[in-house]
Amino acid sequence: MWYGTKGNDSDVAISTRVRIARNLAGYPFGDRLDDAKKKEIIEKIDKAFKGKEWKYTDMSSLTEAQRQSLADRHLISREFAGCPAGTQLIQNKDQDVNVMVLEEDHVRIQSIVPGFDIRSAMEKAEAAEAKLDEACDIAYSEKYGYITHCPTNLGTGIRISVMLHLPAYTRAGGIKALALQLAKLGLTIRGADGEGSDPSGNIYQISNQVTLGVTEDELVERLSNVVGNIIKEERSFHEKAGEEFRSDLRENARRNFGILMFSERISSREITDMYSTLRLAASSGLIKLPQEKLDELLVRSMPSTVEAEHKGVTTPEARDRARAELAREILGESAI
Amino acid sequence: MLCEKCKKNEATFYYHENVNGNEKNYRLCADCANELEKSGELKTWKESVEDPFAGFGKLFTTPFKQMDKLFSGLFGAPALTGGQAKSQKQCSCGMTLRDLLDGGMAGCPDCYTTFEEELEPTVRRIHGRSSHEGRIPAKFRGKMDTKKKIEQLEKERAEAVRLENYEKAAEIRDQLNELRKTLEEGA
Repeated sequence: MWYGTKGNDSDVAISTRVRIARNLAGYPFGDRLDDAKKKEIIEKIDKAFKGKEWKYTDMSSLTEAQRQSLADRHLISREFAGCPAGTQLIQNKDQDVNVMVLEEDHVRIQSIVPGFDIRSAMEKAEAAEAKLDEACDIAYSEKYGYITHCPTNLGTGIRISVMLHLPAYTRAGGIKALALQLAKLGLTIRGADGEGSDPSGNIYQISNQVTLGVTEDELVERLSNVVGNIIKEERSFHEKAGEEFRSDLRENARRNFGILMFSERISSREITDMYSTLRLAASSGLIKLPQEKLDELLVRSMPSTVEAEHKGVTTPEARDRARAELAREILGESAI
Repeated sequence: MLCEKCKKNEATFYYHENVNGNEKNYRLCADCANELEKSGELKTWKESVEDPFAGFGKLFTTPFKQMDKLFSGLFGAPALTGGQAKSQKQCSCGMTLRDLLDGGMAGCPDCYTTFEEELEPTVRRIHGRSSHEGRIPAKFRGKMDTKKKIEQLEKERAEAVRLENYEKAAEIRDQLNELRKTLEEGA
């Protein structure tokens, strides 16, 4: 699993994702697909992912909490988690390649790796895409490239997305200026949960908005350069912070750590708020907590994931208790 | 997802409002968010930011000042290329141009061929360009190579004709015919 593992530039970068949208030629999209056609598509796509390394899951066989938990962990999209009827998930053993069958497009391949690592995420997604290309007749036009349900994904069908923790940028009021600059480059910044989500915990995703008229290599290069610069800038803010701010941050981080270690009940909102303070303090070298452990805590603290990982835990109070135990399990051996 | 206001660009801005527990969410593109902010319909970004270290979640809480005005903007906006829709045109999947322009999503892969001309301005607005530059599927690679070869041979034939080397020109013509045949068979 991507979380809990240290990646490149992990002081600022949380994860890197690549999503490739593909469709089968000769089949309609969305509501125009009847059950028989959906079944045919699933059968065709299954042929591309043969072998023991791939695990198939009928999405309607999962509970609501299990499905939402997959989205909490950024393995699948929120939309896919929300519409389980007649859809299928194909995952590799490490769950770093997740193939959503019958999402908005017939197939969406999504890879995820820890930290800032576009190359590895790209390699993983493209290896899976090559299997699909070999086994299926993919919808393609010379003019528009890979055909997608929504015109916003035409061309390469590729969306590269790097998740960053930008507390200093946010505090300096720089996110909006950044958003406007990125738009000029065909890139975009959003909250952690994708389209239109709330950037809680100072977590943002930087991704390409333009998918047509650019090559895959250009996309990789553009994102690599821009995100690399954003990471450097966030880092320079950390370095420039004054002694008073550092002292306050360390104090807040230590108090938060105390809450995490000794509480009996913790809400997911509290975790999100504490996460940013603790992660910034860790990135600035003020406390010794490993960032990847904090990322793991954040992901596994989401209500659906707590419910999916703990049998019989369904009420908010039971979740808060399970979450407090989880915090000790993940961070208990760390000394700050 | 397309912007709820202009329905042209991809939505990248999220506005969340919570008035006495009555929650509303809007997804807008950068242009529309900017425009609404300038006109004072949305609180500016800066105004809405409270100290992020005090309450991170409140960052994007931007209550609208004039709700009615915004609603008329959301639902009254002309979708995609707007009024000149030739609504009779229909794709094999049943999608009409009118439906396509209203919904903003294709009905099947063929819609992009059927409505190629009408979709071009929309595609250009979204991506800034309207033709693919990236990789191509394995099945099309051979076809693309053949097309390139045909273009090359056509140039060579013209050159042979110019030099009055008719024997060579005839030879190239035969090769061209052969290649065009394979291209047609492939299609």
